[in-house]
Amino acid sequence: MKLSRRTTTAAAIGGVAALALLVTGCTSAPDDSGDGQITLTVTTFGTMGLDDLYAQYEADHPGIKIDATNIDTGGNALTDWKTKQAAGAGLPDVQAVEEGWLANVMQVPQSFVDLRDYGADDITDRWLDWKVDAVTDPDGRILGYGTDIGPEGLCYNGKLFEAAGLPSDRDAVAELFGGENATWEQFFEVGKQYHAATGKPFYDQSGFIWNAMVNQQPEGYYTKDGSLNVEGNDTLKGLWMQLADGAAAGLSSNQTQWDWGQGQAFVDGSFAVFVCPGWMLATVKGQTEQGGGDASTGWDFADVFPGGAANWGGSWLTVPATSQHPKEAAELAAWLTDTKQEVAAFQASGAFPSVIAAQSDPGVTGESDLTKFFNDAPIGQILAKRAEGVVAQYKGKDDAVIQEQVFGAARVDLDSGAKNGEETWQEAIDALHASGIGE
Amino acid sequence: MTTTVREHSALTLRQRLSRLDVRLSPYLYVSPFFLLFGLVGLFPLAYTFVVSLNDWDLIVGPGEWIGFDNYVAELTDPLFWNSLFNTFSIFLLSTVPQLAAALFIAAMLDQNLRAKTFWRLSVILPYVVTPVAVTLIFSSIFSEKYGFANNILQALGLDPVMWKTETLPSHLAIATMVNWRWTGYNALILLAAMQAVPKDIHESAAIDGAGAWRRFFSITIPSIRPTFVFVIVTATIGGLQIFTEPKLFNAQSAIPGGPHREYQTAVLFVWDLAFNRQDFGKASAVAWLLFLIIGAIGFLNFWLSGRIASGEARRATRRTARVLAELRARSASGPDPAPASEPPASESTEEARR
Repeated sequence: MKLSRRTTTAAAIGGVAALALLVTGCTSAPDDSGDGQITLTVTTFGTMGLDDLYAQYEADHPGIKIDATNIDTGGNALTDWKTKQAAGAGLPDVQAVEEGWLANVMQVPQSFVDLRDYGADDITDRWLDWKVDAVTDPDGRILGYGTDIGPEGLCYNGKLFEAAGLPSDRDAVAELFGGENATWEQFFEVGKQYHAATGKPFYDQSGFIWNAMVNQQPEGYYTKDGSLNVEGNDTLKGLWMQLADGAAAGLSSNQTQWDWGQGQAFVDGSFAVFVCPGWMLATVKGQTEQGGGDASTGWDFADVFPGGAANWGGSWLTVPATSQHPKEAAELAAWLTDTKQEVAAFQASGAFPSVIAAQSDPGVTGESDLTKFFNDAPIGQILAKRAEGVVAQYKGKDDAVIQEQVFGAARVDLDSGAKNGEETWQEAIDALHASGIGE
Repeated sequence: MTTTVREHSALTLRQRLSRLDVRLSPYLYVSPFFLLFGLVGLFPLAYTFVVSLNDWDLIVGPGEWIGFDNYVAELTDPLFWNSLFNTFSIFLLSTVPQLAAALFIAAMLDQNLRAKTFWRLSVILPYVVTPVAVTLIFSSIFSEKYGFANNILQALGLDPVMWKTETLPSHLAIATMVNWRWTGYNALILLAAMQAVPKDIHESAAIDGAGAWRRFFSITIPSIRPTFVFVIVTATIGGLQIFTEPKLFNAQSAIPGGPHREYQTAVLFVWDLAFNRQDFGKASAVAWLLFLIIGAIGFLNFWLSGRIASGEARRATRRTARVLAELRARSASGPDPAPASEPPASESTEEARR
């Protein structure tokens, strides 16, 4: 059949109308509800302790409504951010970014607002220098405000230590691992003693210990100038073999990371120590409670860490360039990372402040729900000491992928006893090649 | 053309509009589907192809035009073949038992049961639950250290099975989820087909002395064959696109699809490439390879079902020919065969046509 011009027009109009309906149906903007209110969307992850602060900000700023989303883990938050960043839409007004994927952010610095446009220069002395340096791009643009840092201490279960004939007192435990000069050798030695006395594993799985080991080196998977350095890296391989030795001695409980049998493993004595950056303390508490335990389960927090000062994680609040209200968003981010709010976040989650004034605040050094859970351990004071000497390690763009995809599988084989140290190291190197990283 | 125009000018505007309405409206009414398909089906397909020809980082954007390098790289990547193997393994482990069970359940539901509706509704119940919820529940059941399945095995004095870190057990676990969700659905579709089989055929077969088994295999199964082909085709397409179950089966795993990609299916591999490794170009290439594979299997199904249908027809023609030959032989020998033999002959031709 042939179409006359008129019908073509009619069809075109009909088609466009249908499309228009469709498009308008899709873009339902939650912004600006008409009465001059601004809605700011915030995306955080894990246990950052910010959730209770939003209501206060809304009360102080009547024109602002906060629509907050908290994603369960940093890994899932990364996927969420990548998806939206790639699509160029859907990003919130304030996006929390974790240390492990800051390098990905630095791949696209222009996608983030330069906070100097909204007064960042006036407040940068709030934070530890390295916390600001890390989030400053090569052009000197400041892309984020620091929330927490992740100084690592050792969580241990006092009751299990006692049952194994080890000291359970906090200071004595710190001494047991070597105090100021604690080493991984000593850590595994104590683990073997514990295993000999109880026949039970010492730690939950090797992955977090590997994280800590790598993070406390001056250089990790990448050298300072940004080139990949895993294959033939004798330092890393030496650490890996230590880990393998521990697993072979039965010290690993081979738990599933971030699952722990829905928290049961924290309660049933499956393991007795756990590496704890500040923010992990809330995870330990949450898992223990989910598994049916409480403060009497025996978890405690010691001022010691094998191998010296270590940092794991810590985050920043950024403002993506797609934000419709960058000024308001930057103000919110600045407020959320101010001294008082970082203290509150610490009390809620153990996320140790990156703001210098907050670190010595009585709210951080004093009691909280968290200290009560950890046998009244002075968590804030301990973390402040654990933060001494922490330096930010250079993270390359595939750091998170190497951590999870390259060493993840090798770690499982190590813990399950399927392969030994040499085999798993080779497995990791093979995985590195297979993934095409660094080519 | 000229005649049409002259004709038009003889008509009133109203008549012309009405004629247009009749001629064009149907196209207008079906157009939303095609517009939507173009927007969310055809365009992404073409765009994905363009992406697959580039070295394209997920967040940085397009890099160099590299032609078919991504395809070459993926076709030689053991991880790609691993994902294909996993996909087909899980597909077979789920589809075959699932369709067998669905056929059995449908046959049972086709019997004279009390409270028919209750049984039929019960069968479809698992389908109502979203796959995410199903996966969370099964993921907990198959948890290696604290799961229900391993607790039972250990209570029976057996070794626990590594459901989440070994290949075959993980495939079985995932196939179980798929089966749990889809068996009832397929059973109901097969049941509908079974109910459409004319009762008189069954009755006459029963009168001729065919037992229940014989009737099931010689009447029910051949009659529902087209529906069975449909169920197989949909199960195949669904089976090759399994994503939710393996993605959430071990949600905390650093690598989607298990620490050694034991159950990383092809679609999950695409996701892993795009969103973990940020290699959008390679992910698009794999997506296209998967599209071609599914297309090929679709054609295979189409061809097979066509063969089955024509096989039916061939058999029917043979049957008719045989009956006619018998009749002719009888009419040649018997005294007064014509009036008696004609009706059955036409009946069987009729049946063959059907």
